[in-house]
Amino acid sequence: MELDYLATVLLSSLSSASILLIATIGLAVVFGLMGVINLAHGEFLMIGGYAALTATRYGVPFIFAIPIAVLVTMAIGAAVEVLIIRRLYGRLFDTMLATWGLSIAFYQLAVMIFGTVTPGIGMPQYSLKIGNYSLAGYPLLMIGVAMLATLFVYVLMTHTVYGMKARAAIQMPEMARAIGIESYRVNTLTFAIGCGLAGFAGAVLLPIVPATPSMGFAFVIKAFLTVVVAGPVTLTGSALTAIGLGGGASMTASFMTSVAGDAFFFLITAFLLWLYPLGITARWRSKM
Amino acid sequence: MNLSLKEPRISTLAIPAQDQVRTAQEVGCDMGLSEKIYRNAGLIFPLLATGGALTAAGFIDPYLAYVATSWVIFGLLGLSLDLVWGRGGLLSLGQTAFYGLGGYFGSIIAINMAPLTGNTLVWSLPAGAIFGAASAGALGSIIFLARMGPLQATILSYTFTLLLWSLTQSFKITIGHAVVGGDNGLSNIPGVVPGFGQGAESAGPVGVFVTVVIVSAAIYFLCWWLMRGTFGRVIDCIRIDPQKTELLGYDIRKYQVASFSLAGAIAGLAGAMFGAWANYLNPSIFSVQEALLVPIYVLVGGLGTLAGAFVGAFAIGGLSYYLGGGAVGGQTTLILGIVLILLVLFLKNGLVGAVGELWRRTLPDPNAAARDAGAVLIDPAVLEGILVEAEEQAGPAKRLATVDLYKHFGGVIPVNKVARTFEPGRPYSLIGPNGAGKSSYLKVCVGIYMPEAGSVTVGDVDATNAPIFERVRQGIGVKNQKPQIFGELTVDENLSIAAFARTRDRQAAADVSRRILAMLGFERQAKVQASALSHGQQQWLDIGMVLCLAPRVVLLDEPAAGMTNEETRELSSLVRTLARHTTVIVVEHDMEFVRTLEGHVTVLHQGQVFAEGDIAALRTDDRVLDIYLGRREHV
Repeated sequence: MELDYLATVLLSSLSSASILLIATIGLAVVFGLMGVINLAHGEFLMIGGYAALTATRYGVPFIFAIPIAVLVTMAIGAAVEVLIIRRLYGRLFDTMLATWGLSIAFYQLAVMIFGTVTPGIGMPQYSLKIGNYSLAGYPLLMIGVAMLATLFVYVLMTHTVYGMKARAAIQMPEMARAIGIESYRVNTLTFAIGCGLAGFAGAVLLPIVPATPSMGFAFVIKAFLTVVVAGPVTLTGSALTAIGLGGGASMTASFMTSVAGDAFFFLITAFLLWLYPLGITARWRSKM
Repeated sequence: MNLSLKEPRISTLAIPAQDQVRTAQEVGCDMGLSEKIYRNAGLIFPLLATGGALTAAGFIDPYLAYVATSWVIFGLLGLSLDLVWGRGGLLSLGQTAFYGLGGYFGSIIAINMAPLTGNTLVWSLPAGAIFGAASAGALGSIIFLARMGPLQATILSYTFTLLLWSLTQSFKITIGHAVVGGDNGLSNIPGVVPGFGQGAESAGPVGVFVTVVIVSAAIYFLCWWLMRGTFGRVIDCIRIDPQKTELLGYDIRKYQVASFSLAGAIAGLAGAMFGAWANYLNPSIFSVQEALLVPIYVLVGGLGTLAGAFVGAFAIGGLSYYLGGGAVGGQTTLILGIVLILLVLFLKNGLVGAVGELWRRTLPDPNAAARDAGAVLIDPAVLEGILVEAEEQAGPAKRLATVDLYKHFGGVIPVNKVARTFEPGRPYSLIGPNGAGKSSYLKVCVGIYMPEAGSVTVGDVDATNAPIFERVRQGIGVKNQKPQIFGELTVDENLSIAAFARTRDRQAAADVSRRILAMLGFERQAKVQASALSHGQQQWLDIGMVLCLAPRVVLLDEPAAGMTNEETRELSSLVRTLARHTTVIVVEHDMEFVRTLEGHVTVLHQGQVFAEGDIAALRTDDRVLDIYLGRREHV
């Protein structure tokens, strides 16, 4: 096998792993800090995509459309937390069912408003040549974006007052309330941030994955599995599993077929859950 | 995370509280008609409904019969989820996967084999059920044998459905006369042919309706019977407290895989019936929209009620039928999504659950007896008799030995190379200040924690790496610090489920539990829900459950907590009697209680054996006083 081919495969696998991480990180934040799996995560991603698309249609440059998408999804996320999630704390399955209902309702709303087919926006035309192969530049850029997003969440959680409150509220809810942390408000913000990160993913991935009502589905299976395999130390765990599983699946896909890639993902996931039924980080002592 | 979301909502409609024979013996026939009907509501009303449906089949419009058939099939699918979720405690989002797989497989078999017999159902139904059970068994084995967390299990079942949805879009195969054409689906599925032979003809809509109702009713009553028996009781116990169920000696994983496979079989059979009803299947059977409906049926009807799934399917189906199907336009999905959110937020009991709750309020409160309970008085002669009999059945007392047992949690070492051998004869007490590692030591002995090093031996058998239930079968019986009782079940049911774990015989279990019940003086509280008991009574009940196991080694963690002084004295005499027949280890903070045990005392400190001897000697030991009071260098 030629070296340039190998390098191409490695780089593109790393970029698909990064894309998976970008799509997962919001889910991981909500799960890690609230113990809640948001089954509507994919639809928040879709909303972010549509928000960015709509903004660019009104002449907003793409780079500014991204923060608009983040704000829109954060606002919707906060509303969902206040109206639904808050009433279901401690009821894991009920939260999943309610967000599942929300997911399907959002999907149908998107079909009604935008139709099933929408034009994508052109991918910025850079490319990288390695030997005889050339790689599109934008997906490669996602490697950097994923690293920045992870760093952002890490700093947010460990070096800000909000982050410390949020971690306190999940680790010892009663103690946190006793020392004056308003856990309700912290949770609303956490959920909004998680949704905002989903919106960010939807917007930033727009040149690669065009906005469609079902664009969420393309990511959520892998995102859910990534988070549950990661377990309680969500950020580090999700980064590791996204790179391992996403990268592995992408490599399998480029050497074999895309179906083999998906099968690889599912089987390795089932195998990892068999070995670590509560996630790979269940016995770690670190908490972020 | 808390698994048991469902506290007392599980209507007694679904859990007929008593074995009728024993009820009659013990309480006399003072039960009102209303109460009798209430207790057997899970049998009576479905029978009436089945009769009603079969009668109605004689005169209803064939088109309504055709549509209503699908509601019955969806109800059956809902029943499969209710078994797993309402009773088993795991939200499975994979029921439509088993439904679809059973449908495809059953239909493929029927297409190829039906010409041989004429009758289609003898092929499609068993094939669908077997395939559904096999696929559920495979997924369930991964989930339960690995002891996955609830979140992991739900997500895995959901991704299983989604994976099938995407794979079947392009999956094309021809098996005999059956052509599976990816998203073109599988057509030419033979309808319901009830007769046999060459001339047998497909039933009309009403005939199909009657057939489907009969098959579904048969399956419902099978489930009802199974879930009110011991199997169902164990499944309930696993939902309420999986650890305690395993501490009784049940291999909970086998029960979980079995009930999951049963639910898979029911879903697969429902899928096969759906194929015969629609004559056509396509991958949308695996879609999210389809999967979404199943928990909606269960929630509308009432979680854990079994019959509720059918009520839910008829309510949803009937509503959309009378609204004219197309009235909501193409927005069914949107409405369903919102309905699910509203159901989760506002209607937790469902229709059947709500009616059952209203009805229950009109009945005499069975928990009233909890309030007029007297103090427990143990008759040593009765206890002696129970213990002698236990010894005959379960063999002589066993010793428990640990060698250099070591367990750490991060930097904390609650059990640090503890080497002790406990022999039958007189009770052993473990004392020590908070955080000394007493409870952790017991938990490592039982298998709740797995040690990093060292060994645990029960009798002559090494049990270091054995799962909890195997150690219990070796003869360990444990009462943890917090009383672990099955709050939704009655006192009597708590004891008999414990006794059944050992005897594996209903009659023998009933005998054992009745004797323990009498010894504890709980006869009048037999029908009381265990959660209604006071803390001290719950401690006694937990001790009683341990005694039902006829353990050869008994571990009691703070048994006297929450007991009155009189009760503590009774407990002391119980422990001393127990120690003559078994090995007994007690963890206690009540030094007066420890003194009355007149046994061997071990002081633990920072995970290690710190001092040993009898209580009088230890009471004068300055070093022991130091660690208890936090003085000087031993702190």
